[in-house]
Amino acid sequence: MKRFSRYLLGTTAAVLMMAPLAASAAEYPPLATLPPVPVPADNQMSDAKVELGKKLFWDGRLSGNGTMGCVACHEPDLGWGTGGPISFGYPGTQHWRNSQTVLNSAYYYLMFWEGSATSLEGQAPAAAGGAVAGNGDGSMMEMKLRFVPEYVKAFKEVFGTEWPHVAQAWQAIAAFERTIVTDATKVPFDRYLAGDAAALGDAAKRGMELYNGKAGCISCHNGALASDQRFYNTGVPNAKEFTEDELYQITQRWELYQKGMPEADYRNGGVDYGLFHKTKRPDDKGKFRTPSLRELKWTAPFMHNGSLETLADVVDFYDRGGGEGNKVLKLLGLTAEEKADLVAFLESLSMDEPLLMEEPKLPETATWAEFPK
Amino acid sequence: MKTKRTILTRVLPLAALATAIAVSGVHAADTAKAADTGDKPAFAPLPDAKEVKQARADLGRYLFFDTRLSGDTATSCSTCHDPAKGWSDGQQLSNGYTSISYFRNAPSLFNAAFRNFYMWDGRLDGSDQGAVVRDMLTEAHTMNMDSRLAQERLKQVPEYAAMFETAFGGDPYGGKIYGAIGEYIKTIRTENAPFDKFLKGDKKALGADAKRGMDLFAGKAGCISCHNGATLSDGKRHALGVPDNPELATNAERQISMLRHFSTMGTPNYMNLRTDVGAYVVSKDKADIGKFATPSLWDVGQTAPYMHSGVFASLAAVVDFYDAGGGDGPNKSGLLKPLGLSKKEKADLVAFLTSLTGDAPKEKAPELPAYKLRELGKN
Repeated sequence: MKRFSRYLLGTTAAVLMMAPLAASAAEYPPLATLPPVPVPADNQMSDAKVELGKKLFWDGRLSGNGTMGCVACHEPDLGWGTGGPISFGYPGTQHWRNSQTVLNSAYYYLMFWEGSATSLEGQAPAAAGGAVAGNGDGSMMEMKLRFVPEYVKAFKEVFGTEWPHVAQAWQAIAAFERTIVTDATKVPFDRYLAGDAAALGDAAKRGMELYNGKAGCISCHNGALASDQRFYNTGVPNAKEFTEDELYQITQRWELYQKGMPEADYRNGGVDYGLFHKTKRPDDKGKFRTPSLRELKWTAPFMHNGSLETLADVVDFYDRGGGEGNKVLKLLGLTAEEKADLVAFLESLSMDEPLLMEEPKLPETATWAEFPK
Repeated sequence: MKTKRTILTRVLPLAALATAIAVSGVHAADTAKAADTGDKPAFAPLPDAKEVKQARADLGRYLFFDTRLSGDTATSCSTCHDPAKGWSDGQQLSNGYTSISYFRNAPSLFNAAFRNFYMWDGRLDGSDQGAVVRDMLTEAHTMNMDSRLAQERLKQVPEYAAMFETAFGGDPYGGKIYGAIGEYIKTIRTENAPFDKFLKGDKKALGADAKRGMDLFAGKAGCISCHNGATLSDGKRHALGVPDNPELATNAERQISMLRHFSTMGTPNYMNLRTDVGAYVVSKDKADIGKFATPSLWDVGQTAPYMHSGVFASLAAVVDFYDAGGGDGPNKSGLLKPLGLSKKEKADLVAFLTSLTGDAPKEKAPELPAYKLRELGKN
């Protein structure tokens, strides 16, 4: 297996030796073990910052009604998502897309299914402030933090300012999220890459070949993250909720309206246009960002609307050549055994056990009598 | 709208006479004479009803009671401005939005269309009801509503879509939502207050004690120097030294909403302020610290507790406060001096204040139309 791991590391010689796969796989960055998390120069990591960010991640003060902190839709024991198809929303509203896992989100350079935030620091306020998510007001959230003596102390220690500023909260949360990443020693596939040939069973190994070859998964799900971070329309069907539930319709039209969609699209509604909301280029209708395939075992259901419940469903979907109207996928003609092999390989990209985390004890609010002197 | 028709038939025929009655109806001769020359403040009957666009007010009535205009659909305008509680909430300090504790008393909406300012600190202009509605709906401490989401919620209600079409033409939209509720607010008026009847010529409308109270109000007690004219308010801001609500010292949630308000108003040194500085946050002029807008006194019998901090539970407590020459605080008005009122005089004043109070509002929350599924492409 040494040969194969060298191939995955991208050496040309190894690629040439992998004759059947090389033709397609060589065009794409191979799957690999995740590198250390990239850290932006203006938000360096520290233990104190991560610890603060962890508390803030759990803290309902960073929402409009006091209960919708980040964790509300990104629960560790639900794969850092909601575990359901479409995320629930802020009370009185309904969200419109699947809540993506926080796991390894630190490796994306575009956040959200349509790539509408460019950093974790930008994603957090968009979620905490969005009317169907956290619905928090920046100035109110900031003032709530300032009345928590433990936070005042921690923010001062971490950021050096007399008072917490809400933008620093997003920085601390982003730093915390940069620690919510895969531990390669727990991932069969990564152990296999590191030289443990027994880390993958035969089915997973066959699945890997399919992934890199006949099934063509590698063409989008490539690189260490198993995502090219680009946008495709694979024809995932619209969620039926948008024709059956008023709250979904309200949210969808709100999205169309606030994102400045053309009048005709706004009037028709009913369809999640994905990237088009951001770019307004007709060619981008229905495109969504390729998600990472790491930790799939813990992050079902799948797709932007959570419409595929299991990995077997996902494999079936691709085997059929994706959904209606898509121009990027082809029929694969996989046998039942091949499908099972693919699922085995996909599962091997996940840690042996989920990344769980204890809820931190949140600090108390105090009156201004407790302000620093 | 039923309420509105009643107002129109009652007030319009009297409109032309209003000025003359204002003068002749005043029992205190000196004050009445002064009103002629415009030198001194005087009484006047309730102003004529404002012209109301009925279709908009009808729509606004529904919206006023509809919790779908708050971020989490937990509160409507009527939550803090309940007709059954004198268009207020009966509390010293208003609750505010979910998880917030607001830091001031919710003012009543009686005759709200005739104010010079909105909000106790006078931060909004009284000529624009739509602006104050927008503020209440979208501000984090009150209804915390994204106006675009409000618009889409209302579009999901066919009855509302039809009402907006009739009232404004076109789709529901933020400005129209605020305008409709603002129009409805114009219909909220004092009805059948004895003193208003008195000013309009019904001499029997006031008892002897209230008449004595009126003379005190316009004379010895000096109330009229600020509470005058058709709204019983000078439309100005004064510092009286009204104490902050005691909760402000002990309840962090109240403190949070106050300092956050100060911060969003760009108030200097806001983190170090420990009292409600009132109009200072608007002007940033230290001479305005502690000043609050003079409220109207019409229907004051229905709007307890009193003052921006809600610290006085009864009209008697308010009269005691003024009798003592007001409270302590910066920029205190020179108009306030100890009054030396006897017990009987105080009771007479309260009797007069009570005569400013009209009927309890008959308004009830209407049955609200429900969301309905949209036919895609049809609306």
